[in-house]
Order: sequence, then structure tokens, then C-alpha cells
Amino acid sequence: MTAAPAWALVLVACALFAPAAAAGSAIAPEQELVVLLGGHEVRSRPDVGGAATGSIGPRRPITHARTVLPVLDRRVDDDARGWLRVRLPGRTLGRRSPPRSGWIRSNETRRATTRWHIVVDVGARGIRVYRSGRLIRRFAAIVGKPSTPTPRGRYFVEENVRLDATHAGAPFALATSARSRVLQEFAGGPGQIALHGLQNIGGRPGTAISHGCVRLRTADVTWLAARIAPGIPVTIV
Amino acid sequence: MRLRHARSCPPAHRRRERTVALLTLSCVVSLALPVGTASAAQPQVGLGTADSFAVLAGSAATNTGPSTINGDLGVTPGTSVTGFGPPATVNGTIHAADAVAAGAQSDLTIAYDDAAGRIPALAVPTELGGLTLTAGVYKNASSLGLTGALTLDAQGDPDAVFIFQAGSTLTTASASRVNLINGAQPCNVFWQVGSSATLGTSSVFTGNILALTSISMNDGVRVHGRALARNGAVTLINDTITRARCAPGTTGGTPTSGGPTPGAPSSGAPSSGAPSSGTPGGAGGPGAGGSASGENGTALFTTSPRAIARTVARSGIRRCVDGRFRAVVTGLFIRRVVFSLGGRVIATRTRSPFTTLVRAGAGVHRVSARVTFRDGTPAATLRMRFRACAEAARSTQRERPRSPSRRPRGPFGLTG
Repeated sequence: MTAAPAWALVLVACALFAPAAAAGSAIAPEQELVVLLGGHEVRSRPDVGGAATGSIGPRRPITHARTVLPVLDRRVDDDARGWLRVRLPGRTLGRRSPPRSGWIRSNETRRATTRWHIVVDVGARGIRVYRSGRLIRRFAAIVGKPSTPTPRGRYFVEENVRLDATHAGAPFALATSARSRVLQEFAGGPGQIALHGLQNIGGRPGTAISHGCVRLRTADVTWLAARIAPGIPVTIV
Repeated sequence: MRLRHARSCPPAHRRRERTVALLTLSCVVSLALPVGTASAAQPQVGLGTADSFAVLAGSAATNTGPSTINGDLGVTPGTSVTGFGPPATVNGTIHAADAVAAGAQSDLTIAYDDAAGRIPALAVPTELGGLTLTAGVYKNASSLGLTGALTLDAQGDPDAVFIFQAGSTLTTASASRVNLINGAQPCNVFWQVGSSATLGTSSVFTGNILALTSISMNDGVRVHGRALARNGAVTLINDTITRARCAPGTTGGTPTSGGPTPGAPSSGAPSSGAPSSGTPGGAGGPGAGGSASGENGTALFTTSPRAIARTVARSGIRRCVDGRFRAVVTGLFIRRVVFSLGGRVIATRTRSPFTTLVRAGAGVHRVSARVTFRDGTPAATLRMRFRACAEAARSTQRERPRSPSRRPRGPFGLTG
């Protein structure tokens, strides 16, 4: 009889504090990145004999900016060749979804790091911006509606796009490696999830009405676009 | 941006950042490409009766121009010996398909198999140029190549043995050279080549080539060692081959007579900043094989990116390098590596990856790695002296571009 209330207290405490603790502990103060200086074959293991699971170009399709990827692991094979396990961009139009990560050779790459990290909290309908592992900004956001939800997972910013004033979602869009799991194609694109503005599209931050993208107020997305470069991790929880 | 930010932070914050960086690094495996190396001691590869030969071929020996052979020349089971009359010079005996050549070929086969079977072999990249290696066995499963200079450092041990195992070919570029320093002897350098060896024009090569198939030398090659081919031909063009003999009193040489005593092709001191290495294997010589003595530890000191160590090996502190790189130690039986920068310990690693980030401002610095081993291999200190560029330090301060936004190059669609 006395044990039951104690268990209940523990469960309640876990329910109250676990999400915050998990989110906080998941933010690394620094993320290693790699800038691709040439095209790369993606392999399933750090070995030239590993299965080729795709290829990745040195430039991104929208802005032609350099491809920058988060590095998850490093290895050196028996022939002293360096390998990097990287998070991969999302699917392109008309293609099958690529694996979330894969191994590429370390040649024709340049190392970089970032201290930035964005967390999109779908449940709270907002985003949190971290630098060096510390929370520095919170913004309210519009997230995907139940029929076209914002996909949860670990992604990264593929491109930082400056949009024309007449474009939906202006003035900026941070195009991520996340892809809608419902919309395989949308507006001529592969269902790419972005953090973008509200101009020419509307909505009220704090609601769930989008097709999967994350919409932010103009001031908020402008603040982000001035700081967030390709390769920066985006975690959607 | 990063460095400027660090300076503006209070000391406690800077310490925390440094700790975080080290913790982050401990979670990744570095790009380990060998530059400064050390390896276990090895006994010499016995050549038997092939020792008296400077050139030994299986099918034919062919020469063009005024080559000089200081040592015997033999061919068997082939009989073709072409072009070794004037203006060429053979300061030794020519054995064409006779019993002496047959015996030498038999001993060459034994020596080849011995060299090919030596362990532990440390994997090296195909390109050996710019490396400084200590005694040991080095292997590349595909091929070995040399552009520029390879330095072999005996670390004061005249019996230090260097064995290179190439899965297929050995190819050197024009004007490349193998330098011996700190007492290394050409007689103790062996190149076991799985197929054929090709030496580039005007190159200076050191060591005994034991090739399964053929050996080809372009114009003006100087070899301090031997060109021994088991099955194929040895082809020369105006080259000089001097049979390598060990200095008296050392254990490496085999007691045969004849032939001049060569000197090391380049025995100058290493460049002031060249990555150096300890001698985990200890003294070489007969009976000092790694597994027999329990001294199988190897350690290999390099940097990531590799270009840093390569530049330092080639130019010392005459050329500056980026002051921000990773110091990397790889090898066998390593228990612990303590990295220091300018005498101050910056990281201790007790498990792989043995790597740490080095951040140095403009000026001359020395980074060292104290390596201790799990077996009986003596501890070694591997060092690299380098000069960090001021420009490079400034370039690392930019963490992000001023405006990361770009205009789209064409139509695109986002989910909205």
C-alpha cells in the first residue's frame, strides 16, 4: 500500500522531467561537419568493398552551395584510407529514399565544425536554438497538421535559401534533409521540409496547419537565416 | 570567430570549451595516415649466395648505355645477358645459367618468401614520399610508390632492418630518393615486390629489391642495394647498381667478399621539424624478432590532415603550416599515449583513437606523443616540430560566413 504512491511519484516525476532532460542532454556543444569538394560514392561500410548505396554531389540543387554534411563517425581502413560516416541529404524527386547515413571517403573533403543546433519541438509547436550546447533562443512555429505531419528524426540544414519577396514562405527558407513521409512530391519538389517564413502563406505560430514545413515569423526566420549555415543539425522531436 | 570568441570568454568558460573539445575528439576515430613511424625490430633477411650479386634475373638481363654494376651479375634459368660489354662496366662475375646463378636464384626464393612472411606488418599508404620511418615491416596490399623522398631512420642502431612488402608493384618517380639517417645501412633495407619494380629517371634508390617478376630502371638510376628478380628480366639504361654490404661489426651483413662498399645515399640529419619517432622495437639483429622477444609494439605518429606532417617532414620549420590539426598515433599494442604541446600535456588517451586536437598560434612549436605499450616494447616518445602560420590561424577564426543565405538558381518546391 505504501509502495504504490511512491511508484506513482516516480512515474509522475519521470513524466515531468524526462523530456526536458533528454532534449537537453542530446545537444552536443559542437558538431563536426565535412564540406564536400567533389562528388562521392556512398557505401554501406568503410571499405571500398562495401555496397554502394548512392552518390552525393559537391553542390546542393537549389542554391548550388557546397554540400556540407554532419560527421557521425570516422574510420581508417586496412589500406590507410580515411572514411567518414555522414548524415545524408533526403530523397530527390522521383528517386527512392536514400539511407539516413552512409560512408564516404575522406579525400576531396574539408573539415568544419559548428556549435549551432536547432530543435523543432512538434508537440510544443516551437523551435529551440542552441549554441555550444546552450539554449539561446525559442521561437513559436507552425508545424505540420495531423494529415501531413512534420517528420521526427535527426536531420540537418541542406541549404539556406534567400527567397524573393513574392515567394511563398519568404523571406528565407532553411531547407533541411527531412522529407515528408506523406507528400512524395509537393509544388514540384520532393516534399522537402524547410524552416521558412510566413510571407505569402500565412498562419498563426503555435498551430499545426502546415503541410509539414515549419513556419516562423519573419523576424525569427531572418534571425536564423543570418546565422544558420548548411550542415547545422536539426532535430525534430 | 572561434578563437576570438575564446579569448573574449572568461577563463572558466575557456577551460570548459577545451574539455568539451577533448571529449568530442575522444569519440571519433581520426584519419590516421602514417608519416613518422616506429615498428618492432626484425632480423635481417638472409640472401645466402645471392648476396654476391648486384643484379640477378630470371629470364634476361638487358642493358643500354654505360651502366656500372658493382657486384656479380647473373641470369637463370634464362641465358640472355645483353649490353653489358663496353661502355657498360661489370665489376664482378657474369653468371649466365650456370650453377652459381642457379644457387643464387634458389636462395633468392627463400629470401623472398622470408621477407614476404615477416610480421607484424604496419599498413602504409601507397605513396611513401615524405615519410620518415623507423625500423620495421611496412606493407601495402596493392602497391608502393615513391615521389620525393623517403627517409629511413635507424635511430642509432646500425642493425636496424627495414622491410617493405608491396602486394604488386613498386614504382618510383623521377628524381625520387630513399634517404638513410642515423646509422641505417642499405644492406638492411629489403623491398619484397609481388610483381615488378620500376625505378624512375635519375632516382636514388636504396635497398635490396626482391621482385617476383621483373625490375626495370630508367635512365640514370643509382641503386645502393641489389636488383634481384626471380622470374622476369632486369632492364637497365645507363644506371649504377652497387651491391650493398653491411659495415664490419654489425650483424646485418652476410660474410661474403668482393664488391665495393657503398655509402648511404643521403645520411644527413633529418629536417629540423620532421616528424620523428621512438624505437619501440629496440635493437634488431638475429633473434630479435618481434614475436620471439615479446616486443611487437608499433607506433606511428602523424597528423590529420596528412599534409601537415608531410610538409613538416619535407621542409621542417622553413615552411609554416596551419596551427590547428590533429595529432594522431596509430599502431599495435599501444596502452597509452600522452600528447604534449610545448612540454605541456594536452591530452591522454588510453584507448583508440589515440588522437587529439592541436591548436597553436603563430610560431614554432613542438608536439610530442609519449607512447607506452601493452607488451614488453619499450616506451617511445614521438615528436614533431613545426611552425604555425599566422595566416592559417586567422583563417580558422571564421566559423561561419557573413551571410550563409544564397539565392536559388532555379525553380524549386518546399512542402510549405
